[in-house]
Amino acid sequence: MKKNYHLYLGKAGHLTVMSEFLTRGWNVAIPEVDVGDDIFVVQDDNGTLRRVQVKTSTSTQRQNGFSGQFNVPLKQLRNMANIPVHYVFIVRNSDLWTKPVIIRQDYLLDYLQNDSYTKDRIACSGLDLSKYISDFNDFPFIEE
Amino acid sequence: MKAIKISVNKQMDGYTFSIAPSARLLIKSWFPDAHPANNIFVAYDTKSNFELYYDKLESYIYPALLGVNNRNDLNKKVDEIQFVDTHTGKILHAHKVIL
Repeated sequence: MKKNYHLYLGKAGHLTVMSEFLTRGWNVAIPEVDVGDDIFVVQDDNGTLRRVQVKTSTSTQRQNGFSGQFNVPLKQLRNMANIPVHYVFIVRNSDLWTKPVIIRQDYLLDYLQNDSYTKDRIACSGLDLSKYISDFNDFPFIEE
Repeated sequence: MKAIKISVNKQMDGYTFSIAPSARLLIKSWFPDAHPANNIFVAYDTKSNFELYYDKLESYIYPALLGVNNRNDLNKKVDEIQFVDTHTGKILHAHKVIL
């Protein structure tokens, strides 16, 4: 695999997620200075802003499917601003991107605080996040 | 003792008060007509002005954040409202409920 491949995969993931928002009629922008947010997603006609953080992963094949692994700093999750961050998780599996799992910051933090974790590792294995697959409720189609 | 935790995040321009989605669900189960908010942002100057003329801001934040009109109803369910610093985990302010 190419050196620094994760950087390429990460950018590819960003662009994939950005294209998804664009198809829904939301405008997108990458901040000039990288201080945490990956993408600003904006509703043009009224200025509604959503902050998006994209997390990408390669897949590991399992007996009943595949898995991806992501790192989300707890400090970042706890930094609750008046506009919460939407985390978008996508996995590159069998030369295709999976459907995005979209979870708002406060919900993700709630899951982790109610789950067991140590300083180094958060175990989400038992957590069913299926309801967040392609959960674009906060990004509805903008038609007019 | 039942305590509701309100997260307080200090930002560059003010405080963001928020409650966890699980706490919002709990409030909704207690009071189906309640409308808990995700978060409330208060600028530092707004807070200091408010406290100069009125009272501690926290006493007014929690009914607005929890979306419960009748404080007495809330007081029957909860013993304490804790305002917790999200970064340090320290309790910044605890509002004891007195019936």
